Amino acid sequence: MTTSNEETILQVEDLKMHFPIYRGVFQRQVGAVHAVDGISFDVRRGETLGLVGESGCGKSTTGRTILQLYKPTAGQVHFNGVDLVSLKGEELRMMRRKMQMIFQDPYASLNPRMTVADTVGEPLMVHNVATGKEIQERVQQLLELVGLNPAFASRYPHEFSGGQRQRIGVARALALQPSFIVCDEPISALDVSIQAQVVNLLEELQEQFNLTYLFIAHDLSMVRHISKRVAVMYLGVIMELADRDDLYLHPLHPYTQALLSAVPIPDPVADARRTRTILEGDVPSPVNPPSGCRFRTRCPIAEKICAESRPDFREVSSGHFVACHMVK
Amino acid sequence: MTTYIIRRLLLVPVLLFGVTVLIFAMLQFLSPVERTALYVRDFPKNDKAIEGLIKRYGFDQPIYVQYWTWLVGKVDKTSGVREGGILFGNFGYSRSASQPVAELIARRFPNTLDLTIWTVAPMILIGIWMGVQAAVHHNGFIDQAARVFSIVGTSFPTFVFGLLMLLIFYANLHWFSPGRLSDAYNQVVDSSSFTHYTSLLTFDALLNGRFDIFLDALRHMFLPILTLSYISWATFLRVTRGSMLETLRMEYVTTARAMGLPERDVIFKHAQPNAMLPVLTLAGFSIVGLLGGVLITETVFNYPGIGSAAARAATSLDVVAMLGFALFNGLILIVANLVVDVLYAFVDPRVRLS
Repeated sequence: MTTSNEETILQVEDLKMHFPIYRGVFQRQVGAVHAVDGISFDVRRGETLGLVGESGCGKSTTGRTILQLYKPTAGQVHFNGVDLVSLKGEELRMMRRKMQMIFQDPYASLNPRMTVADTVGEPLMVHNVATGKEIQERVQQLLELVGLNPAFASRYPHEFSGGQRQRIGVARALALQPSFIVCDEPISALDVSIQAQVVNLLEELQEQFNLTYLFIAHDLSMVRHISKRVAVMYLGVIMELADRDDLYLHPLHPYTQALLSAVPIPDPVADARRTRTILEGDVPSPVNPPSGCRFRTRCPIAEKICAESRPDFREVSSGHFVACHMVK
Repeated sequence: MTTYIIRRLLLVPVLLFGVTVLIFAMLQFLSPVERTALYVRDFPKNDKAIEGLIKRYGFDQPIYVQYWTWLVGKVDKTSGVREGGILFGNFGYSRSASQPVAELIARRFPNTLDLTIWTVAPMILIGIWMGVQAAVHHNGFIDQAARVFSIVGTSFPTFVFGLLMLLIFYANLHWFSPGRLSDAYNQVVDSSSFTHYTSLLTFDALLNGRFDIFLDALRHMFLPILTLSYISWATFLRVTRGSMLETLRMEYVTTARAMGLPERDVIFKHAQPNAMLPVLTLAGFSIVGLLGGVLITETVFNYPGIGSAAARAATSLDVVAMLGFALFNGLILIVANLVVDVLYAFVDPRVRLS
């Protein structure tokens, strides 16, 4: 699908994640939440792919399903050429060394009963890559790497601030020297001043270790800052995917246009001059998503065909994918 | 950590003072004649004797003087003998058991403690284990089965379940018997050849090298243990299950999975220890409940613990003995709470440092 000749590290093909809903005395399945409903994209080595969308659109589920924390309903996830979906048990566990995750909530993502040293050192122990003294040394290095005082190693998570905790999470994710990290809204729970610090840290580390990020967020300006390419999700489907500047300057999909027009501009004059697209209504339920195009119920330019068939996710110009019947 | 424990310890005298004031207040509902049981064994026979006792033990004095006398007792000036005084362990006389309350407690409490020790493991560990399994198989067959099994236990009144157990295992199958020990072994235990190292029968039996007595004692305790455990399992299951489900949803648990930790370790290393905090509180209360004597269970199985003694005192209106038990219970409660609080600090680093 990609036209670039850069190396693809992750290839997602028609990934679906439906969570069944059980009802009644006999717990029969009466439906499913279509959290992720057939998405395809790939991630190239060393890049940051931003994944944006409203809450509940399936961004986080996408990240977790890629890492096989949920068993996908359908689809394939090729990581370094290996299909993760078909892996089981020990094989999958071994693959996990190369792909890690950073979470949104720095308070919930650290075990309150483990010291920083235990938390950061645990992945090393789990995969038997280091023992005893080596682990301690490695932990010290990692803490220094993320800008924490190594003397804090014996402290517990509750003694740290949100930003410091997120750094601990980053250190833990880096411990196994992964090549791919899913960042699930890593900064949305932090103060704005701290957000920049953490984002800068992530960028520095990316450069240093040639890391690949799938950066899930809803803060469009932050995504613009950190990503090389950006994918826009709506109700379990990717609507548009393009290079960052291409997407922000020339959004093609009406949903992307609406989303971008909602980004506040710190200039009242410019803000007053631009036209804002305000979407009507609410996001439909992912239990019964609309037929055809998912966005048609709120789309300002929808026509008959939008209800009849689901638009293909096609490449309209080099590297610019969009799923919309109305885009020529 | 040390300051935390010291702060907790400093609270103990305050709590003890509160308990004594409360119990003393209850004593005031008794007539002075009944209150003489605090000091003398026999009910005074005539008005003159009553008059003398009231004077002697200061029941005509102001209330704070009475409280003080109740605490430290009264030292006879000529003989130097101390009469009464709860601080010296003199809780008065139990007229239903015809012996000092303190002696009654000293004789009965080891039995209750013995039963408690053997009940703790099946009651708490199996309860927690079922809770963990239920949470791990959330809404699955194991979950439903464990919940139904345990809710049946809670719904049974203790006396119904206890009698049912007696009917099946004693009356019909003759597997287990009520009481404390078989008659033949009772004689051995009472003889001088049997040394009472700990006064806990099962442990003494082992220390005396009498494995047969140990087994016989356990055989007599089996039904009370089963009854007490079964009626508590639902509570432990529910608390553990709820707490586990909550921790299993935490992001650090997902992270543990994502880093490639085997599922066993994810559950038992990350989720379970964090889910144990509310269970620890519950376990503390349950153990205190057991130590205070389980009136119905001990009575149903004719087990000579502190609970059956309390039941007997209550039915014979032996109020002084009842209040003695209440005082003793308060002491246990305070000590047990202290232990639970300290354990909490060990288990949860957040408590330790705040």
